[in-house]
This record gives sequence, structure tokens and C-alpha cells, in this order.
Amino acid sequence: MRAFEYAAPRTLDEALAVLREHGDEARVIAGGTALVTMMRQRLVSPGYLVSLRDIRGLDRIEADNGGIRIGALATHRDVETSPLVRERLPVLAETFRRVASVRIRNMATVGGALAHADPNQDPPVTLIALGARVEICGTDGRRALPVEEFFRDYYESALEPGEVVIGVVVPQLAPASGAAYVKFLPRTADDYATVAVAATVSVDPDGERCRAARIALGSVGVTPIRARGAEGLLAGQRFGAELLRGAGEAVKGAVDPLSDHRGSAAYKREMAGVMVGRALTRAWDAALVSARGTR
Amino acid sequence: MTFTQECVIAVERERLWDFLMEVPRVASCVPGVEGVEAIDAKSYRGNLRVQIGPIRLSLHGTMTVDEQDRAAWRARMRAEANDRRVGGGIRARMSLTLAPGEGGTRLRIETDLAILGRIGEFGQPVIKKKADALLEEFAQNLGSKLGQGG
Repeated sequence: MRAFEYAAPRTLDEALAVLREHGDEARVIAGGTALVTMMRQRLVSPGYLVSLRDIRGLDRIEADNGGIRIGALATHRDVETSPLVRERLPVLAETFRRVASVRIRNMATVGGALAHADPNQDPPVTLIALGARVEICGTDGRRALPVEEFFRDYYESALEPGEVVIGVVVPQLAPASGAAYVKFLPRTADDYATVAVAATVSVDPDGERCRAARIALGSVGVTPIRARGAEGLLAGQRFGAELLRGAGEAVKGAVDPLSDHRGSAAYKREMAGVMVGRALTRAWDAALVSARGTR
Repeated sequence: MTFTQECVIAVERERLWDFLMEVPRVASCVPGVEGVEAIDAKSYRGNLRVQIGPIRLSLHGTMTVDEQDRAAWRARMRAEANDRRVGGGIRARMSLTLAPGEGGTRLRIETDLAILGRIGEFGQPVIKKKADALLEEFAQNLGSKLGQGG
């Protein structure tokens, strides 16, 4: 590993100033699970590391208009075990629980994982299905982006030089709605998904028809993908095998998987169709339970 | 890994061939290539800069033209390049063929590519996509250069 300078500013403004001063040479570090691995492999060799660890309040998980705001420095384990997340959005706690091993979840942060923009991660998939937004801060001010617009290419995000992810805001589920995350994991429990799908389904008050749905997939392209075509097929329809098949076919047309040691592109495409059916079935079941509760 | 790419350049075959066989000029159309110079009549050395996410590679190496068969409109070449900092490199064999195409000449490139060392693990899954993006830009550059009278 190449030698580097290390700064641990106490405030966000200080951190942004350091980033500005060192430009291309500087990288932000939070949990370090991704960056340190890449540095040890000498894939990246920043001359300056700016740690966000000592910035107070950046790790908070708090209620936000019925939904939840998660600070960038919250660890995966924090989200997994947060009573607030478990109560309001259990699917999100479950998604974070599926990430790697507990040792990694204790270190990896929510903001760091987003900034890393690895298309095989679990949380972005569920965050997209839930309609979450990423909060970004730079010297010119703050902005927010829907999570699906934050990912631009393989390990490339919408972050401009000098910008930092400061949090993610997840809205509450609509009434009579359910959500599910399914991870196809044929190898080891701590592996990346071969295909991952998250879905939310909202049903009519009588539970007969789908009102709206959101579907997102991971590990099937250079970024996480939102399957808008399949979502459109569901609105106004009754649940059934035919509908799930149609959604599966639409999803297969929307994904663009990469062949790797977890499977060929063709195999992942087929499995994406299968896993979408499973995710929708679970989300729909949860929506029916929720609809009964509100009647 | 082997892959085949195709594109159509809006110029006649003879002109495209003559241009493609002049390596330093062609190299100026490949995004990220710089400092190309001849070693001898068949070999060249130069640099290729590629970025994959946060990883910037600077591949330094050589390219050798093994075959130039104008009668068959086919050329073969091989390239070897290494990134000393990251530790790893590429070995490529490429075959170029020119055929008449709609509105110009169809350029077909068959590549047999090996990615070695640390960059392989990270880069392997996206190499094909990067190569496609590179070819698209290359074809555009080529088209505009030849369109301007080459």
C-alpha cells in the first residue's frame, strides 16, 4: 500500500474544505471495508484520506415524516438492528441483515456503500423499491437524488468531485402495501447475490387488485436497475400466475447482466424472471395483510 | 475471453484500409491512447489510459502487426501492455476485416483478450462493455477524421 496522509475533521464543512484542497488525490473514508481492500490490492492509491468518523450526528437513524432518515455513517448493523427501522420498514432491516457477514456489517456504512456504487450490493435494491432518496452535500450546497438516479455506471455514482453522501431518506410505505427482498444466493451465505430483487406492492382497499408496484434488481447490470416496464404491467391487475409470468418476461428484457463466476449472463437473466415472481408474491401477501389491518 | 464487434464507417473500403494501416494515425482515434511511436516497421509502443469506476489504469506496452492482407481485406495484430502500479496487464490478439456495408464499410474486429493480475478480478466482468464504449467512440472519431478529408 502506498503511503498516504490522513485527516479526521470534526465537521462536515472542514471535510469538504479538505476534499476541495486535495482534489483528485483525496478519497473519503468511512467504514473502509471497500476502500481499504482496494488500496491493499493497489487498485486505488489515494494520497490523502478524509475520514468522516469524527463528524458528530452523521450516524443517526431518525423518524422523518412517517419514514426514516438514515445518516451516512450509520453502519449496516445499525440499520439491521434499529428498533425504528424494524418497526416501520422491516424489509429494510432484513435487507441489511443479508449483507456479507456480521463483521463487515459492523464496519460498512450506509453512505460508504452507496458511494462505492458496486452493482452487486443488497441495500440499493430495496432502497430503490421503497422510493428512497440520497442526500448529497458539497461546497456549493446540498441536493438529493432518487437512489436509482444516483448510480451511473459500474462503480460510478452521480457524486461530483468534492461531494459527499450525507444520508438517505426512506419514505413510509403507503397504506395497504407490502414489500419484500429476495436474494438468490446459491453459493455461501455471505456472498454477493447472483440475482437480487426487491418489490413493493400496494393493493386496493378490498385487496382485489394491485394499485401500484415498484420493482428493483441488483447484480444484473452495471448498476442496480429499476424495472419500470414490469411495474406498469401490474397496475390495476389481479394477482395470478399469468401476471407474474408477464412481469418476469418484462424484467428479463430490462436487465443486462454480466457473466462472471456466479453465472453466465443468460442464466442470471432467466433467474431474474424467476426471482421477480417470488418477490412480487411475497410483497403482495404482505400487502393483503396490511389491507386487512386497515379495514 | 473472445468477442466480436462491428461498426460501419461512412467511407469506401480502400480509403478506410489505407487509414487503418497507418498505426500512429489510427491510434489518435482510440480514446485514451497516447505517445504512440514506431519501434520498427511492424511494431509500436504507446500508452492506453482507461478508467473503470475509481480505478485508473495506465497500460504501457507494445503492439505488433502480424499480417496485412489487402487482397483479403484482413489484418491481424497483437498487443501486450502492463500497468506497473496496479500490477497486471492485458494480452490481446485482434483480427480486423473490412467488408462493404450499408452506407460505407463494415469494420469487424475479433478480439481474444486476457486480463492478467489484480485488474482481472475487478475488471473482467465489464471489459466487454468498456470495449464496446471504446469502439463506439473510436468509430465516431474515425468517421469525423475521414469525413474531414483524413
